[in-house]
Amino acid sequence: MTDAESAVKLHVQNISLSFGGIRALNDVDFSVRRGEIFAVIGPNGAGKTSLINSINGFYHPQSGAVIFDGQDITPLPAYKRAKMGISRTFQNIALYTNMTTLDNLMAARHIHMKSNMLTGALFIGPAKREEIEHRRKVEEIIDFLEMEAIRKTIVGNLSYGLRKRVELGRALALEPTLLLLDEPMAGMNVEEKEDMARFILDIHERQGMTIVLIEHDMGLVMDISHRVVALDFGQKIAQGTPDDIKRDPRVIKAYLGQEAG
Amino acid sequence: MAAQVQHQEKQQSDSVILRSKEPIELHPLAPDADTLPKNFLLRVRELGDKVAVRKKRYGIWLAYSWNDSYRIVRNFCLALVEMGLQRGDKVAIIGENDPQFYWAQIAIWAAGGTTTAIFTDAGLQELAYVVDNSDAAYLIAHDQEQVDKALAIRDKIPNVRRVIYWDDKGMWAYDDPWLACFDIMVDEGESLAAAQPNRFEELIAQGSGDDIALFSYTSGTTSLPKGAMIRHRNLMYGNRHVINIAPTYPTDEYVSFSPLAWITEQSLGLTGHVVSGVTVNFPESAGTVQNDIREIAPSSLLFPSRIWEGLASTMQMRINDSTWINRALFATFLPIAYKVIDYEDAEKPIPLHLRLLRAVGETAVFAPLRNMIGMTRVRNAFTSGSTLSPDQLRFFRAVGVELKNLYGSTECQAHTLHYKGNVKLATVGAPAPGVEIRIVENNEILIRSRAVFAGYYKDPEKTAKALDTDGWFHTGDAGYADPDGHLIYLDRVSDMIELANGEAFSPQYIEGRLKFSPYIQDVMAVGGSDTHFVTAIINIEFDNVARWAEKNRISFTTFVDLSQRPEVQDLIRREVHRVNETLPPAAQLQKFVVLHKAFDADENELTRTRKLRRRTLEQKYADLIHAMYHNIDEVIVRAEVKYRDGRTGTVDTAVKVCSV
Repeated sequence: MTDAESAVKLHVQNISLSFGGIRALNDVDFSVRRGEIFAVIGPNGAGKTSLINSINGFYHPQSGAVIFDGQDITPLPAYKRAKMGISRTFQNIALYTNMTTLDNLMAARHIHMKSNMLTGALFIGPAKREEIEHRRKVEEIIDFLEMEAIRKTIVGNLSYGLRKRVELGRALALEPTLLLLDEPMAGMNVEEKEDMARFILDIHERQGMTIVLIEHDMGLVMDISHRVVALDFGQKIAQGTPDDIKRDPRVIKAYLGQEAG
Repeated sequence: MAAQVQHQEKQQSDSVILRSKEPIELHPLAPDADTLPKNFLLRVRELGDKVAVRKKRYGIWLAYSWNDSYRIVRNFCLALVEMGLQRGDKVAIIGENDPQFYWAQIAIWAAGGTTTAIFTDAGLQELAYVVDNSDAAYLIAHDQEQVDKALAIRDKIPNVRRVIYWDDKGMWAYDDPWLACFDIMVDEGESLAAAQPNRFEELIAQGSGDDIALFSYTSGTTSLPKGAMIRHRNLMYGNRHVINIAPTYPTDEYVSFSPLAWITEQSLGLTGHVVSGVTVNFPESAGTVQNDIREIAPSSLLFPSRIWEGLASTMQMRINDSTWINRALFATFLPIAYKVIDYEDAEKPIPLHLRLLRAVGETAVFAPLRNMIGMTRVRNAFTSGSTLSPDQLRFFRAVGVELKNLYGSTECQAHTLHYKGNVKLATVGAPAPGVEIRIVENNEILIRSRAVFAGYYKDPEKTAKALDTDGWFHTGDAGYADPDGHLIYLDRVSDMIELANGEAFSPQYIEGRLKFSPYIQDVMAVGGSDTHFVTAIINIEFDNVARWAEKNRISFTTFVDLSQRPEVQDLIRREVHRVNETLPPAAQLQKFVVLHKAFDADENELTRTRKLRRRTLEQKYADLIHAMYHNIDEVIVRAEVKYRDGRTGTVDTAVKVCSV
């Protein structure tokens, strides 16, 4: 690996994705540097979630490649990519709603567990030690995201904003090196948004985590991300620093509509 | 009557002095124990490896022994001195209750400094004012949130040499040399202690009981906060006034939750820890307090009346939400428990059948209920701040929590309290041994004791007004003594209302009765001789009313909407009727409004200890009050809302005036 390559955490190489006759992504190409907060913006239906799904392996693009840590992961299924260090949150929260916050986070530790069904069921020797070790990791995340008060609360009873936070916690419990956040602040009030923005910044500062984030709230995106790529109708229309993007006429057009005349 | 005359000598025609009837002497402080750090050293020697403090983190209770505490306090103290802290320097601290808060205070005192604790939700202006007014040379700030505040007001607090934080979460990217980290200082202190083994003890030996331990900023319902200067010996006597009546032991468990900016927490929590060796437990976060209390099952508890009111509402609502069996049991046994109290108060023997029934109720309902709120071992349960209404006290006593009112002030700590078996619900108790109380004209209560403060910092004028030459502190509270020598607290002298018939009446009394309703969170009663009747502005208790509405299939969207629903106003009307029945006719409410929002300390409507700021409220809701007295049915209220981040906005709401 050359220096230039090792500085790149993720390279999305000219990917195209269609469902039947609909083109969700069209020749999208960009790369995310190691340790940066990278935002994907665009109007509804621009293909942002399809892009995230292609990175984490839910969708397999018809052409192009996804390069993660210098390795082509295009053919790999989602669970293998998760083991390699890619984890994500969902736009429409996907948690075990009848389990507690703690159990949701512990479940995410599953990919790091070595004990088998038998030793796990008997809860002896290494299995017990392992459980304690995982619980410690999970408790650190609960502390980090200030979820002490909801540790033993059934997720289904939590407010929307808190469920989003639990989801972020679960993504962290996988100990990823690349974190994909699909609209982490959608539907939140101002205070919740600011809390979430602070957590994202804290994760980045604390662990030097590479974060790719989709967000509608332009103000917040511009505040916290280092670089931004803008999509419209499945195509990349601009890429650059938040300031560049704010001034880019194509982005303004995509968001505000075409001026008459 | 002879005994009574003995304790209530008539001094002047208009003043009576009240003293404790308990034959307890307050011994002078020993010279090796006249400051808090000196006591701390004694406790470390006595208790060594026993648990001093616990903090819940990562879901488990982390314990620190007295020896651990000693090492941390010594190291931090030496590191502070190395940093430049001198005898007489002031240090401000803003943060949640944590072991570090306690340790920092003891360390600063050991070095001869004075501490000022500030409420964590203080805004930028408030923080800047207190830090600047107290001449703080250092600011200890809990975490990123508080450090950010300090950075934002940096140019307004030029005297602050360094800001020290103890929670490093989120602080990784800060490299401002103005900031320092508590843990790193403790590590540095280790080598300083090794270099000068006796330095810490020498520093402590230089202190005297007359040194100022802390500035406690009074919440100031009317004006800017003033810093009451409290000496070490004041704190220790203030603590003794209480523990002589309600003893504490090193085996006791205490949960520290009330803010340290509040003198009562300093006097009973921190001072109690250092003087009696009580183990102090710090909850994991504000949201987990109830559960954490349950795990600790503390022997002493101190909550502001606000929290007890909340707890009573929670208990009642939980019963309401419970199975029909539980509801039936509760409905059966609560009246029995009330009857038992009536017999006890009348000092009449309790009939056998009532005793038996109460015992059944204990097993069936009350013990499990107490277990639910962690009050299985509680011996000293105190309420302080604004007075808790007799209804609340009766309720807690009925379920088996001997809740005691503690009446006091920032300037003199506890004045009166309820004695062991002598809880008179209508009173705030009798004077503590060592406290003298005098009632003068206007019914004003005056206090003299060894806990009386040294004056307001840099404010000789206000000091002279509050503290007379004979050592009496003028509380500004109104009250009178009952025949048994108990004090009955009425209200602030300035808040007393004269009714149309010329009778003096306390709005706080009406408010207290109304607040017993689980559906009412806050009330301000309005009235006076210039008006014909009493009215009230009422805040609904949102959670409980929302649950009630849900149960009764009443749809609503927001707080504003819910508060103006006719069904909700009927609900509140019923509560008002209930209270009116207990009031003299002239004091009965005739009209009320259900306010579209809750009173908020951030909007200056309440003090940080959640007492009403009446003047502010009267001005702010002048239109509503006018409407109630002039037969207007509805008022459009344009309220300015101040958000925590300093922005402001306006909300338009139609508020209905309800007749009773």
